[in-house]
Amino acid sequence: MIRFAIFIAALLPAATPALAQTGGPAITVVAVPPLTTPDTGTKGNETLAIAWQATQLIASDLRATSDVMPLPSVQKDYYSFPEVTAPTFTKWRAAGAKALLTGFVQSRADGRLTFGFYAYDTVTGREVARKGFVVAAGDWRRAAHKCAGLAYTAATGEPGVFDTRIAYVAESGAGAARVRRVAVMDSDGFGHNFLTAGETLVLSPRLSPAGDKVAFVSYVAGKPTVIIANIETKDQRPIVAGDALTFAPRFSPDGARLAFSMMLGPNSDIYVASANGGPPIRLTTSPGIDTAPAFSPDGRQILFESDRSGSPQIYVMNVDGSDQRRVSFGGGWYSAPEFSPDGKSIAFARRGSDGLRVGVMGADGSAERVLTSGPNDDSPVWGANSRDLLFQRIGADGRSAIFRLTSAGGAAQKLVTPQDGSDPDWSAQRD
Amino acid sequence: MRTLPIFAALVLTLSGAAGAQVRRPGARQPVPVLTGIDALRADFLARTGSNILYFGVNSAGLGAPARAVLGAQAAWLRRQPAVVVQVEGYGDPGDSRDHALAMGARRAQAVRDYLVLLGVPSAQVALTSWGKTRPGAGRAIVVLVR
Repeated sequence: MIRFAIFIAALLPAATPALAQTGGPAITVVAVPPLTTPDTGTKGNETLAIAWQATQLIASDLRATSDVMPLPSVQKDYYSFPEVTAPTFTKWRAAGAKALLTGFVQSRADGRLTFGFYAYDTVTGREVARKGFVVAAGDWRRAAHKCAGLAYTAATGEPGVFDTRIAYVAESGAGAARVRRVAVMDSDGFGHNFLTAGETLVLSPRLSPAGDKVAFVSYVAGKPTVIIANIETKDQRPIVAGDALTFAPRFSPDGARLAFSMMLGPNSDIYVASANGGPPIRLTTSPGIDTAPAFSPDGRQILFESDRSGSPQIYVMNVDGSDQRRVSFGGGWYSAPEFSPDGKSIAFARRGSDGLRVGVMGADGSAERVLTSGPNDDSPVWGANSRDLLFQRIGADGRSAIFRLTSAGGAAQKLVTPQDGSDPDWSAQRD
Repeated sequence: MRTLPIFAALVLTLSGAAGAQVRRPGARQPVPVLTGIDALRADFLARTGSNILYFGVNSAGLGAPARAVLGAQAAWLRRQPAVVVQVEGYGDPGDSRDHALAMGARRAQAVRDYLVLLGVPSAQVALTSWGKTRPGAGRAIVVLVR
């Protein structure tokens, strides 16, 4: 036993550098000193309170990512208003920060707030980005998310995932009495809102790119039917009239069209229809089951799942249905394909001898990597940065939850939701 | 004084007899009276054998046992033209969510087509698919709706 332990200890130092090399990209450290305000007097104190909360939210947003790390925000690092555009850099360089984020909050005569943000490279001392927003006083969280996005983009070159929304199916109860409701929330868990009341079964909600609508499958008529619901007005209508079974909805990148599956007799094929109604156009005609369509970010291609070769595999076609070809060749059953927002990768679920797992591959099917441990991980969706993913995991206790992970690798983190969650969707950055 | 033990014995015998009567094997239990859709469902089950049809993995093909059951169901449905049934299809446990919905619908369609082939008016048979959302993988169930 003792000899065995020594053997392990001797191996460890050799193994560690190899692990470090295969790890994710380098983490950029960002300094986030408290936001300041030019306001004075009582008003100044109120604005300053919001500024401090916004600072903490920015730091917490950045901390949730895998490629940016904020230095702890300390109140004594407070800059005065004029110093926001003329900060000192030596202190932040010494602390290890490559980027510095400064900013201010100013109250306006109409009661709204002006937010101004500046991102600097601490090595060159140059300003790399700046942004300003005017928001209602109650909307300071969104301004802070935008600011975190500015810092994230400055550090990584990718859009941030902070001012985004998540739609999912909230589940409660057990067995046939399980209640499923479409829920929408901000990506940090705030603004949680149920869109359906739970009296009918719902599946697979998908957000429109503008974030104002959700398409989902509802059993309101006793059978799967794709419904488009307006988040604000809660107005709902089916995508096609008549009693055909429709499911697997997905908005086009411009939000004008919807791709979905429709049963025509025993045959499931992929159709596209205007999101405002109109006749559906059939894209696939194979006798197999074609389903789970997903648009490419340029709107020119559609990924889908088909069993035309005998087992479920991922295929791609042009948006008019031409040039259908197989993408997945790794063995096992593939499902739930999803283009990354930068168009370079495809996320998928794969069922093999080791269970159902989530992975990513290149847009041409090359360089496949399985990311999760399974055995019941499904339905991956990309974040706006093309790095982070959400997926659904059913645990050993049979309960489902939504997890977040980075396509570079690492452990998946559970998303906090009020109830069990499944079928996640993640919006682009909001305007 | 002497009559008391006899009376007690008589009471014991009577109560014993009453107990035996309740527990007598083969006695007719009080049957709840079924009316309306419940009575029709019970009759449908009793005369057709089953309302569940099983399928092979990733298949919507009807085997001989399923065809036999469907034959009895079709005969029953032709005699009860006022009854509407819904065929509810399920996917397989290994299916993806969307594939399971399609497979459930395909199985329900196969059952519906066979019933219609055997002379059941198509308006009498609706269909739906539960995919993987409910326990019951690999089958289709014929449910009397009204």
